[in-house]
Amino acid sequence: MKLKLIYPKWKKLPGQTTFNLPPHGPVVFAATLPEYVDISFTDENVEELDFDEECDIVAISMMLTTQVKRGWAIADEYRRRGKTVMFGGISTMLHAEETLQHADSIFLGESEGRMEAVMEDFKKHQLKKVYNYMGKQPPIELVGPARRDLYKRELYNHKGVQMVDLFHASRGCRFSCYPCAVSYLGGRCFRPRPIDKAIEDMAGIDNNRLFIVDNSLAQNKQWEMDLFREMIPLKKKWISHTIEDDPEVLDLAAQAGAWYVYQAVYDTSDYIKERVKRYHDYGIGVEGTILFGLDNQTEDDILRLIDFLLKIDLDLAEFTILAPFPHTKAYDDLMRQGRIFDKDWDHYNAGQVVYYPKNMTPERLQELYDYAWKAFYQDETQEEKMFKLFTQVMLREMEDGTYRPRNRKLANKSFGKDVDRSKSHFNEK
Amino acid sequence: MKVPERYYDEIFNFAGQWDMPSCCGLKIIHKQDINYIIVTELYQDNPGTSVTYAAESLYKQICEAKNLTDGKNIYIECNPDTNSKLSFYDEEYFEVTFEEGQEPKYRQLEKSEIQNILE
Repeated sequence: MKLKLIYPKWKKLPGQTTFNLPPHGPVVFAATLPEYVDISFTDENVEELDFDEECDIVAISMMLTTQVKRGWAIADEYRRRGKTVMFGGISTMLHAEETLQHADSIFLGESEGRMEAVMEDFKKHQLKKVYNYMGKQPPIELVGPARRDLYKRELYNHKGVQMVDLFHASRGCRFSCYPCAVSYLGGRCFRPRPIDKAIEDMAGIDNNRLFIVDNSLAQNKQWEMDLFREMIPLKKKWISHTIEDDPEVLDLAAQAGAWYVYQAVYDTSDYIKERVKRYHDYGIGVEGTILFGLDNQTEDDILRLIDFLLKIDLDLAEFTILAPFPHTKAYDDLMRQGRIFDKDWDHYNAGQVVYYPKNMTPERLQELYDYAWKAFYQDETQEEKMFKLFTQVMLREMEDGTYRPRNRKLANKSFGKDVDRSKSHFNEK
Repeated sequence: MKVPERYYDEIFNFAGQWDMPSCCGLKIIHKQDINYIIVTELYQDNPGTSVTYAAESLYKQICEAKNLTDGKNIYIECNPDTNSKLSFYDEEYFEVTFEEGQEPKYRQLEKSEIQNILE
C-alpha cells in the first residue's frame, strides 16, 4: 500500500531568515505506520507537490495554524481526483471541525500503537470519519525512533550546511501558559520518554546538531539531569527551549552539548539579565523570545523592553505578536471580549495583529513589532549574529572531533534551489 | 496556579470537545426563582476543554445533570484569581447568553453585581 505523506507549505514572515528545518511531526507519525505501508514524503516548503504521483491514500500532517488552509486546498484537489485523504497533527487537533469538512478521515491524538487498526479499516473500506484519541495518550514507551530516512537530506541544506534535526524527549506539559495550547494537545501531565529510548533515537540521527523541541525541559529536574548525563558521550550539539535555572543542571547541559536556548524575556528585571548571564557563564548561547501584545503591555513597556534587550547581551532575539490560537487562554479571553477581528488562519503567524490590543491600536502594535526587529538587528544583522553562534558550535565540534565540513557539492544550493548571490538570504520587507 | 476552593462548591466533570474528559468548578445559587450557574475554569486541574470553549455544551450538560429548567437560569463564567503575577489570571465574571446559530454573547459583570449574587 502506498501512502503519500504531505507537509503543507506556509507563507514565511517577511524580514526573517527563511531556514527550512526537516519537519518532525510527519516522520514521528510515519514511524507508527505498519511496515507494509510504503511512504512517499513531500515537504511542500522545499519541493513541489506532484498530484499525479500514484498512491492509495493521502495523509496530510499539519503543525501550524498557518498551514491549515493550504492543507485543506491540497485535500480538496486530491479528493476531486478520487483519492482518500486523512489528516493528523497538532493543527488538525486545533482546527478539527473545519478540517473535517475537507477530509475523509481525521486522526486526533497521538498515533503510537493505533495506525495498524486505522490502515486495516482503510483496506476494508471502513475508514472512520474521526479517530478520536483526544486525552487518551498512549504509553510514552511506545514512542520509537522517527522515520528520518524519509527526508530528502539535500533539501535541508543551506550553502552546504546541513540544518539541525528536530528531536523530542518528552510530551505533555504541566504548565498552562497564557498563549500556549500544548497542555490541551499533549495533556497537562509531563510525560518524559524513558532515557534509554530517547538516547537510542538521538544516537541514530545522522546529524551532529539537533533542536530538542520539547516545550520545556525544566519540568522534572532528575529526569532532565539524567538525560543530559546520558547525552554527553553522543557529543551532539543542540538547541532547546528553557533549561532549569540551576548550576548543576546548567553544567550538565553544557557538557551534554547545549549550544543555545530559547529564553522568554517578558520584563526588564535583573532576574532576566542574570538568567542570560548564567547561561553564558556555562558557554550556552541565548536567543530571547519576546512576545508583544499582552494586555499588561503599554507602548512604553514595549519600547523599554527593546532598549533592555540591546543591553543584556542576547545572542539572538525573536519577536512575536500574540496569536490567539484556539484552545489557549488567550483565545478564550479575547473571544469573550469580542476583540478578535481577523479569523483568517493564514494570518495567525505570530507576526500579524489579528485582535484589538488593550493599550494601543492594532496598527501601533504592528509598528512596534516591526521596529523591534529593526532596532535589535540594526548594528549586526540576524545572519551575522547567527554566523557568530555557528562559529562557536564549529569550534566546539572541532575540539570534540565531530566537526563535519560543509558539503561543497551543495555550496551553491539553498534548500534545493540555486543560490541567488545577488540577494541577501533575508526576505525584503 | 491552583484555583482556590472558595470559587466552587463542587467539581463538575463534563464531556469537552471531542468528548475529552474535562472538569470545572461549579456553584449553583438559587435566588428569587433564578438559578445562577457559576462555572469556574480550573486551568491546570482541567485535563480537557476550557469552560469558555465548551460554552453551550457545558451549560446543557449542567442543566441536564442538575435537572435545571432552561429559561430560569443565568449562566456565569468565572475567571478565578489564581494569585498569579500575571494580570490575565485576575478574577473576572461574565454572564453568557446563547442564541441558536450564533456565537455566545458575553457581558462582564461589575463587582457589585456578582457580590449581590454571591451574598
